[in-house]
Amino acid sequence: MKKTVDVSIPLGPMHPCWKEPVRIKCETAGERVLRAEVELGYMKKGIERIMRGRPWQEVMFLAERVCGICSVVHNMVFIEAMEKISDIAVPPRAAYLRVVANELDRVASHILANFSYCYTIEHETLAMYLLNTRETVLDNLERLTGSRINTAYMIPGGVRFDLLPGDAAAMLADLAKVEEEMKRHVRIFETGPLIALRSKGIGYMSREDAIRAHTVGPTARASGVEDCDLRLRHPTYRALGFTQITRTEGDNFARVMVRFQEVFQSIDLIRKCIETLPDGPIRGGGFCKAGETSYAGEAPRGELTYAIKTDDYGRVIDIAIRTPSVMNIEACAHEMIKDAASIADVTSTFISSDPCIACNER
Amino acid sequence: MKFLYEKDLRQMKYTILTSMRHDETVRAIAARLGMSDAKLRMVLIRRFDMSLLENIESRWQMGQQHADDGDPVAAELGCDLFTRFIPLVDRETMQTIYSETTAMTQEMPFEEAVARGKERVREAVLS
Repeated sequence: MKKTVDVSIPLGPMHPCWKEPVRIKCETAGERVLRAEVELGYMKKGIERIMRGRPWQEVMFLAERVCGICSVVHNMVFIEAMEKISDIAVPPRAAYLRVVANELDRVASHILANFSYCYTIEHETLAMYLLNTRETVLDNLERLTGSRINTAYMIPGGVRFDLLPGDAAAMLADLAKVEEEMKRHVRIFETGPLIALRSKGIGYMSREDAIRAHTVGPTARASGVEDCDLRLRHPTYRALGFTQITRTEGDNFARVMVRFQEVFQSIDLIRKCIETLPDGPIRGGGFCKAGETSYAGEAPRGELTYAIKTDDYGRVIDIAIRTPSVMNIEACAHEMIKDAASIADVTSTFISSDPCIACNER
Repeated sequence: MKFLYEKDLRQMKYTILTSMRHDETVRAIAARLGMSDAKLRMVLIRRFDMSLLENIESRWQMGQQHADDGDPVAAELGCDLFTRFIPLVDRETMQTIYSETTAMTQEMPFEEAVARGKERVREAVLS
């Protein structure tokens, strides 16, 4: 049967709820959203093209500028891909410190994503509480790496700075504070009746739809997709006994709750790393060589893949980056928003999938 | 949907499709459908939004793994693959092609029936 469209409503590119410019065009029939189209291209960087032909020392800094929110993991995946090409081993202490930096970045990213969601559903009090807690996390990232956003912490064969004993104790104390605050925030979110009204059963995506669109990260895990966290295959995370968090509701509430649960999990992982941090050097040796590989790591939003080709001098000849938002934004527009009962739910559903336009328009 | 203030997105969509991994995917889909890369690119640009074009590589990969298990006619035609994973053909049209091809397999050799079915899928993609 042919669908009748009442009104086509464009949301964006400048919208109070969007962190970055994107336009979603919704075809509606009354309040119901029949389908949605995503229009990108407002902030295309062309960073893959800029990277081509440059030495890895320059590409390393460009890689973390793909996204400001999860810059550490871009650095980590690029460096681990270079190590894979060049057979460079990482000392155990450096491998643990990488996990600490990566998990701090994940906590900061998840809190920011949940802040955005709370802000979108007009729960500004909780949103501001979350943003305040995130500051402590970023302070600790600065304590470890010397920088809050673009850290350039990881290099082939190790990391740039060690964690001093005094800093480790201060970090553990701060994490205990963050954990306490987060427990309170989660309680507010879980028990808020108005939050439930805007979140439970809204933006539903089934497990089958999530698999079809290759949804990744918390968005997939909230729809019950098992074995989709790449940390399960990472040797350091396996040594730390990492297990994946999965929920089955598949709605906005589940996506936010998965991220809350992962914050606690990340804090536990950091604690475990610091308490069992092996002694030894933080830098190994090795030279970047010619080769080709495709390497994936688990970013806060999901699977991040770098396909790299290098020459004998360690220059990047060709590179393709597949960020998690490529999959998640598409799934959101074509699976979650499609047939939404109300146009008012489009913004909150879009934000619940933690879209990163900077990643998408790399 | 078209708005008066909209830009022509064809150039940006073409740029997405000609990046390293997307180009490989487009060539693989075109080979599977038995049509030229350029024609398929034109269809993709006309039908898909930018987000779906960005994700086409992942959808193709998932389609290769999960679509059309079991039924040989559906697997040959790509019933699930080209309706749900890479939505190039609408479901009603594909269902009609599938039913007709299944009926043809009773009357003629399997390969010939499937070849005719694939021709119909190609026509549906280009229509």
